[in-house]
Amino acid sequence: MTIASQLPVIPIILPLVTAPLAVLMPAEKWGGRLPHVFTTLVAWTVFAACAAILHSVATVGPISYHLGDWAPPIGIEYRIDLANALVLTLVSGVGALVFPFAHESIRSEIDPRQVNLFYAALLICMAGLLGVTITGDAFNVFVFLEISSLSTYALVAMGANKDRRALTAAFNYLVMGTIGATFFVIGLGLLYQATGTLNMADIKIQLAGDNNRMVEAGFAFIVIGMGLKAAMFPMHLWMPNAYAYAPSVVSAFLAATATKVAVYVIIRFIYTVIGADFAFAPAAFAWLIAPLAIAGMFFASVVAIFQDDVKRMLAYSSVGQIGYMLFGVSFGTEQGLSASLVHLFNHGLMKGALFMAAACVMLRIGSHSCNAYAGLAKRMPLTAAAFIIAGLSLIGVPLTVGFISKWQLLSAAFDSGRAWAGFLIVASSFLAVIYIGRVIELMVLKEAPKDAPPIKEAPLSMLIPMGILVAANIYFGLNTELTVDLAERAAHALMGAGR
Amino acid sequence: MGDNGLIPALAMNPAVILTVGAILGALIPNGFAAIRRPLMLVFVAMSAYQLSRLGLGEFGALSIFGEPVTMLRIDPLSRLFAVVFHIAAALNLLYAWHSKNRAQDFATLAYPAAALGGVLAGDLVTLFVWWEIAAITSVFLVWGPGTRATFLAGMRYLTIQILSGVLLLAGIVLVYRETGSLAFGEIGLRDAEGAIKLSGLVMLIAFGIKAAFPLLHNWVQDAYPKADFAGTIVLSVFTTKLAVASLARAFPGTGELVYIGAVMTIFPIFFALIENDLKKVLCYSINNQVGFMVIGIGFGTAASLNGAVGYAFTNIIFESLLFMAVGAAIFRTGTSKATELGGLYKTMPLTMIFCIIGAMSISAFPGFAGFVTKGLIIDAAGEAHAIWIWLVLLFASAGVLEHAGIKIPYFTFFAHDSGKRPKEAPPAMLMAMGTSAFLCIAIGVYPEPLYALMPYPEAVADYHPYAPYHVVEQLQLLLWAVLAFAVLILIKWYPAEVPSINLDADWLYRVPGRGLFTWAVAAVRAIWRLMWRLASTRFMRAMDRIYMMHGPEGAMARSWPTGFMALATAIILGLALIIAFMA
Repeated sequence: MTIASQLPVIPIILPLVTAPLAVLMPAEKWGGRLPHVFTTLVAWTVFAACAAILHSVATVGPISYHLGDWAPPIGIEYRIDLANALVLTLVSGVGALVFPFAHESIRSEIDPRQVNLFYAALLICMAGLLGVTITGDAFNVFVFLEISSLSTYALVAMGANKDRRALTAAFNYLVMGTIGATFFVIGLGLLYQATGTLNMADIKIQLAGDNNRMVEAGFAFIVIGMGLKAAMFPMHLWMPNAYAYAPSVVSAFLAATATKVAVYVIIRFIYTVIGADFAFAPAAFAWLIAPLAIAGMFFASVVAIFQDDVKRMLAYSSVGQIGYMLFGVSFGTEQGLSASLVHLFNHGLMKGALFMAAACVMLRIGSHSCNAYAGLAKRMPLTAAAFIIAGLSLIGVPLTVGFISKWQLLSAAFDSGRAWAGFLIVASSFLAVIYIGRVIELMVLKEAPKDAPPIKEAPLSMLIPMGILVAANIYFGLNTELTVDLAERAAHALMGAGR
Repeated sequence: MGDNGLIPALAMNPAVILTVGAILGALIPNGFAAIRRPLMLVFVAMSAYQLSRLGLGEFGALSIFGEPVTMLRIDPLSRLFAVVFHIAAALNLLYAWHSKNRAQDFATLAYPAAALGGVLAGDLVTLFVWWEIAAITSVFLVWGPGTRATFLAGMRYLTIQILSGVLLLAGIVLVYRETGSLAFGEIGLRDAEGAIKLSGLVMLIAFGIKAAFPLLHNWVQDAYPKADFAGTIVLSVFTTKLAVASLARAFPGTGELVYIGAVMTIFPIFFALIENDLKKVLCYSINNQVGFMVIGIGFGTAASLNGAVGYAFTNIIFESLLFMAVGAAIFRTGTSKATELGGLYKTMPLTMIFCIIGAMSISAFPGFAGFVTKGLIIDAAGEAHAIWIWLVLLFASAGVLEHAGIKIPYFTFFAHDSGKRPKEAPPAMLMAMGTSAFLCIAIGVYPEPLYALMPYPEAVADYHPYAPYHVVEQLQLLLWAVLAFAVLILIKWYPAEVPSINLDADWLYRVPGRGLFTWAVAAVRAIWRLMWRLASTRFMRAMDRIYMMHGPEGAMARSWPTGFMALATAIILGLALIIAFMA
């Protein structure tokens, strides 16, 4: 037994085991450095492991890892193909940037006595998200989902040190998240009733051709439960407040990862657990997912235009962007699925960078309302530049990842004969031009208030991770080999398994 | 871009290589301007190498929204233009070697790059993109001198070029609707029943603007002479030839082109004869020269198409040689007016010799480049038994000799002695002119390599430019024309060099056109205001309603209590269950 053969379990086991150690570390000694450095190192190790997994999956093929050497379908299996390897890399990559980024921002935003708890919770949250992604066992998805959700509730509530509204936001999120998780587990129960197994691949085999009310209900419960977690319109109402009042670092991490993982789970269950050859899958695409996706793309974007709080605006924008991903899935074509996966990855990059910029402003100016951004281009030029580049990426300007996403979505729309869908995508992009353009106008053209105290640019420990994420926005916009090629292969594999 | 091949497809395109060179060159600060043009020349060499390495074929196939596009098509037609564009780009860079004008240096390479991209385009979308880039990059050359007059001329030029681009776009849409394909191939003006197609007509006008068809030609005389002496040379080469290449591809054998071309060859001669500014004379000569090519395309036989594009090839070389020679005189004396020049042969002998070589080439003297290609077009007219066109061509050939072949060198270097004793042109200019002159003679003496480059090499296989019949015919023509010039000068009937402004058809759009335009603007403004007043109240009300709904306190954005959220979720779940059960 070599370490390499145990590679798939490292991203899960390492943060789960080390998080309690972080709790034991002193919170206030050395300015909370110890848990910060320790968890950062863990996050980097996890990212390295995930990158190694992606490399192995891309070159060798899917990995099947039997936890505790118990053979599936009885034992828990970690099953990694290209689709989840891509999401694993996104989650761990954002984690590897958020952990070093967190230090300064967290010290100013949460109770200093909770620093060690914060890092432990963030580590557990990451472990949960990675676990949801990596596992090949349907019930295991639920377990890890709860692990990540519970830690998220705690993380959001830590924002109460700055703004008491974080408590209600966290409480609402707790109630809604629990409803979602309950729906999901009810769906699992129904599937278990129908098949007698919880291993994803095994469910697929047992279900083949077995169409009954139980499976149909299970499908509906799973999609809606996960749709709630993914902030699918109109089940997004928990999200704007949770993202707005959580500590900025938490918003950055969750916006880039949590909803993406939920979208991934929807894709995974539709294609490789239940299978898209049931009649209800295309019906759900046409009558449920596509209309809600379009509604999200437009309503949430219009709301974003009128927001006077940048973090809330970004949260509403995320609802719209989730709409794009689900819209791509709803085409039911391989290209649409691939476009969704690409956008899933790319949107993680842009939203992460945007929320990081918001965190920098929060640190120096102490507010995330739009007014705080007036004249930012002069006061914090690097942060403003990061916001502008990531914002252009969100709009879909060429040379950024956003362009690649939009392009793939448009190609998929046109190739599947949905010219109207292409029109809707472009039309809703204009809304993004407005809400991002509004902030850019504030930053570049407006003057800061006269009595505004002089402020420094954000510290390097924040600028560097943010810079890396912004650079990734441009790099993956120019070099589409990693994202587009892998997403196309992943979509091909998912569809192949679905047929 | 479904094939993810955008970056490789761009990187392999010679036109993109040149564009990158132009951008890199433009990034060099003015303090290091000396390395700008050498760097750009390296990129021209790289692009030429890439062109030869690729050979014939179609490259850079991509799909845009499911439509296949071919960014790079190297067939004999486009290869011929690509080769001569490279030669011209290199010579232009060499000619103004010491230029320090950043915008102009950029345009000197970026604009040829765009024209190159246009001739190499295998589909209409790619063509359109390069078409517009060519329009935008070239205007920097018109703006080169940086005065208010050149700025306004540049804006007029840009307006007309963009108009051509808009028409092209409209034509593309029409063609796509008709054929369902974006491929750039033969379009033709008439459909199977012989009725004029709208798509063909729009395309023809779009190309016609760039080719400076009669009445669409004034932008040439308006804008080109306003550029500085080096900028005019660059401008003279590419736009019209891109249009010729496009016409040759889309409208071969379109009979109307023969008549359009015939008018094009004749009318500029008269304007050129009475024009005092030698730069403008040469600009009229561009119209006249493109006319020959348009006639060749109009006949549409293999031989005449060979003649048209071959003449474009040689014309680029000798026309720019003439521009360069006049440019050298401007560079040394600061004027291009015939009245202020003359007698320069004493101190600029080399420039004078090169100019005469260019003049003999454009007049198609046997032994020079014009002769071996123009004959193909004239023969095509003869073979088509188009006696009037044949006569027009002969008359126009004589006219070329009068206005370009004799007038340019005569008034610049001889005529009355202006008393100016400028230095010989600088070495870089001499090198550029010498190379052009060498090519003029080399092609004239040994045309076989050019014939091999032509789109239909088999059609020139048994064409012998130096058959006695050709030579005798041409010499008769030329000698009579020279005689006529000599007689006219002697009896002082030749239009004297007088400083004047000659009205051309541009009067139509400058005076009544302007009035019409002003009126149209006022009318549109009035209608717009009326509509705005009607719409604005309704619009404001709609915006209010959207704000009520989506604003921070609106129903869509309010912080709802959990009970409501749970209810929404339950409703959606019910919906999902219904859909799953019904399906």
